Amino acid sequence: MKSPSLGEFEELVLLVVAAQHDQAYGVSILEDLEEKLSKKINISAVHVALKRMEDKGFVESRFGGITSERGGRRKKYYIITAFGKQMLDQQYALRTSIYQQIPNISFG
Amino acid sequence: MEVPPPKYAHRFLRWFCRDDYLEEIEGNLLEMYERQYEDSPEKAQRQYGWNVLRHFRPAFIRSFKVYQPNNYRAMLRHNLILTFRSFQRYKSTFLINLIGLSSGLACALLIFLWVQDELRVDKFHANNDQLYQILEQREQAGKLVLFRTTAAPTAEALAADLPEVTHATTVYNSSSSVLSVDEKDITAKGQFVGNDFFRMFSFDLVQGDAAQVLTDPSSIVISKELAQRLFGTTEEAVGKTIERKSDHSYQVSGVFRNVPRNSSMQFDFVLPFAGYQREHEWTSEWSRTSPATYVQLKPGADLASFNNKIANFVRDKTEGQIFHRTMFAQRYSDVYLYSNYENGEQSGGRITYVRLFSWVAVFILLIACINFMNLSTARASRQMKEIGVKKAVGARRGSLASRYLSESVSVATISLLLAVLLVSLLLPSFNEITGKQLTFAFDVNLILIAIGITLFTGLVAGSYPALYLSGFDPAVILKNKLNRSVGEQWTRQGLVVLQFTLSIILITAVWVVYQQVAFVQNTHLGYDKDNVLYFERLSWEEGNLKAFLGEAEKIPGVTQISSIGHDMTGHNSGTTGLQWTGRNPSDRTEFEVVRANYGTLELLDIKLKEGRTFSESFSTDTAKIIFNEAAIDYMGLTDPVGEEVELWGENREIIGVVQDFHFESLHENIKPLFIILNPNSTWNIAAKIEAGQEQETIEQLSQLSKKFYPDYPFDYWFLDQEYQALYAAEQRVAVLSKYFAGIAILISCLGLFGLAAFTAERRLKEIGIRKALGASATSIVQLLTSDFTKMVLVAITIALPISYFAAQRWLQNFAFSISLQWWYFVGAGVLVLLIAWLTVGFQTVKAAQANPVECLQDE
Repeated sequence: MKSPSLGEFEELVLLVVAAQHDQAYGVSILEDLEEKLSKKINISAVHVALKRMEDKGFVESRFGGITSERGGRRKKYYIITAFGKQMLDQQYALRTSIYQQIPNISFG
Repeated sequence: MEVPPPKYAHRFLRWFCRDDYLEEIEGNLLEMYERQYEDSPEKAQRQYGWNVLRHFRPAFIRSFKVYQPNNYRAMLRHNLILTFRSFQRYKSTFLINLIGLSSGLACALLIFLWVQDELRVDKFHANNDQLYQILEQREQAGKLVLFRTTAAPTAEALAADLPEVTHATTVYNSSSSVLSVDEKDITAKGQFVGNDFFRMFSFDLVQGDAAQVLTDPSSIVISKELAQRLFGTTEEAVGKTIERKSDHSYQVSGVFRNVPRNSSMQFDFVLPFAGYQREHEWTSEWSRTSPATYVQLKPGADLASFNNKIANFVRDKTEGQIFHRTMFAQRYSDVYLYSNYENGEQSGGRITYVRLFSWVAVFILLIACINFMNLSTARASRQMKEIGVKKAVGARRGSLASRYLSESVSVATISLLLAVLLVSLLLPSFNEITGKQLTFAFDVNLILIAIGITLFTGLVAGSYPALYLSGFDPAVILKNKLNRSVGEQWTRQGLVVLQFTLSIILITAVWVVYQQVAFVQNTHLGYDKDNVLYFERLSWEEGNLKAFLGEAEKIPGVTQISSIGHDMTGHNSGTTGLQWTGRNPSDRTEFEVVRANYGTLELLDIKLKEGRTFSESFSTDTAKIIFNEAAIDYMGLTDPVGEEVELWGENREIIGVVQDFHFESLHENIKPLFIILNPNSTWNIAAKIEAGQEQETIEQLSQLSKKFYPDYPFDYWFLDQEYQALYAAEQRVAVLSKYFAGIAILISCLGLFGLAAFTAERRLKEIGIRKALGASATSIVQLLTSDFTKMVLVAITIALPISYFAAQRWLQNFAFSISLQWWYFVGAGVLVLLIAWLTVGFQTVKAAQANPVECLQDE
């Protein structure tokens, strides 16, 4: 079986989920990403990425408690799974190994 | 939250989003909305909507399948059970609806069959789109008069001169002819046609080749039915010889499938026009117009430019000699429905009746639907609690509406079944009235239409209760605080008014049509059409005619007998070949020609105004002429008798002037006419016979005819019957509309009856109290009827002007018509009012007579 792939945007979202450990939810992820990438992102893209990664088993979710904010809707928190972490590690290793192959010449 | 996000975006999200993601997405969106709202409310609103839209993607759209089929079915069952229970409980309402809707649907179906049949006439030809009839407008006394006849050479000349004409044919009807094979004589209807006839029209040949059958001038093409009658078989008819009495022998060159009933051309055989042309010199002249001409144009040919080209065709062909005749083409399949032209403008025809009846169908259905609506809303108060409870428990508006719609659709469906039954029972009589042979075949079209009408009726009938009842606020209903809204009253009364308006319009229409038809039948035509027997003169020998008339006069039942060259029921032959002093040289008015015998005018009782009629005591009367008053007026002669006019190049002395008489239908004005003595060209024999002895007299005449003309069958008709046939269309409309108006009234009254019963019931307590306090039964009846009276009065006020204008327009079809009297309209109104009173009265009297103790005892 082909192992599930990780798209570029999905990877970014997954990184934020891992970084915000246990406190990551839609809006927080969105804001973090917008700040880091300094560009506008639509919330629906974040939702889609999260849904796909949950289906693939990279993240897990749980509902938080009811508060008076958000029109009384509960937050849905995401945490990275072991499989997701493994995926990130692989990705990181792959990129680093290729990066290290860059010959030491001046790119000026 | 201070300000909620846009309602529609929010609702949309809730509608499409799958449940397991809704809370998350909604929460995030709301959070962002709240934050953004502080910066800029508008932007937040916009952003929210945009975000919702961006979520409308497969990942988040829920599946719309009915995931609880059991529930759905249960609801349907629930609805059905409720429907049938309500039928049981409110039997009278149910019956009223059933009778109303089923008779309404039956009417609509019958009308649909008729309209469909009318619309299909002449449309069956494969070349339908390219077939045209050539018509002529002729200028007569400053007016354009339409003629459907053309000069005989027209077809050939058009085909030769105009490239867009692919085929052209002449069609010339001869009078019915007697065909014989081996001593067997059969009267059949035939026409002379051009070579291209079978290539243009789809009268399919079962034997013979369309391009060949008419090339030999002595060939005859017969219908299958005629072949069967003549030869006893439809096989191998080709090559056999048929003798045409008064003519010669023809050889069968082809057999065509019987002419379909929905063809306006009806004939049993055709003969080549070329053969006729060879023997009749007039067929080469442009001045004589008798046959009809049909052309087939190239596909895509432009009619307007074709009409432009042929407009002056006759003038060009005759080098300017005939300049008052303009030709144009009309779509062949339109001729049947759009046959009337008035001063050059198309002015309807049978299409008027098609439209009229389509409206009648819609009116009647509408009236039936209104009943349903009214009765359901009236009943609604009893169902308020049910609705309130259901709504409180969480029933959605849609499901409540579907309950009422399913009720009305079930009633409509049951009514449809009844209507189908009714239609199949009524169809024979309907055919008799309409003179058609409609069949109730279950073709796809009819089924679709029937289902369509039923669903439409059901939905329209159920729409108002469904929308109105399901819209109540449950809290208000359950607290019993719903006050009978003014709107409800108004709507219901409005509907009743509309219903009665429609009924009154129908009744006045019927009344006017009826009066006009009666007027037409009783108008003195200027001649006496009663007890006049007409039959065709069977031999053209002059001596023979004299002898026959002499013998016939001796038959005791025959009071007078003579011969005449006119049918008295329509334009027969006209001429422009009349000259008189003071005539404008460009005047091309046609004078109607009547060829008479001695005694003709006396027999028809045409009144003489001046001078004398033809008499055998003068030997020179064949060179004299008699005019009608219209002609004398037109010519402008002051002292006509004794003056001379020139007819066809010969001088004739005017010996008399007769009073105007109608020699055409009353649709036409009386035109100038002259009568000449020319026994030899009188093709009809007219006999005045004594009333009460018709049977024996006809028998004796028939025997005499057998003696004189042993080869010919004796076919006769009565002049008054023939005259009535001119108004067949009007008579049919009169009879049909009588029935339809009756049904409309019946349905309206059914509704009123139901409504009255309901009102009486609802006001039972009020009535009880009034009676207990000493009100008389009369005052209570008055109280209950006054509402309905007001409604009917309003309906009368609305209906009168509408029906007045409609009647006025219809009567314009007639040159001689009744003048509309005020009491036609008031009469219709009073009639409706009386019927309404009778209907309501029955209910209210019952209510008024009830014992007050009974209705008040539970208080």
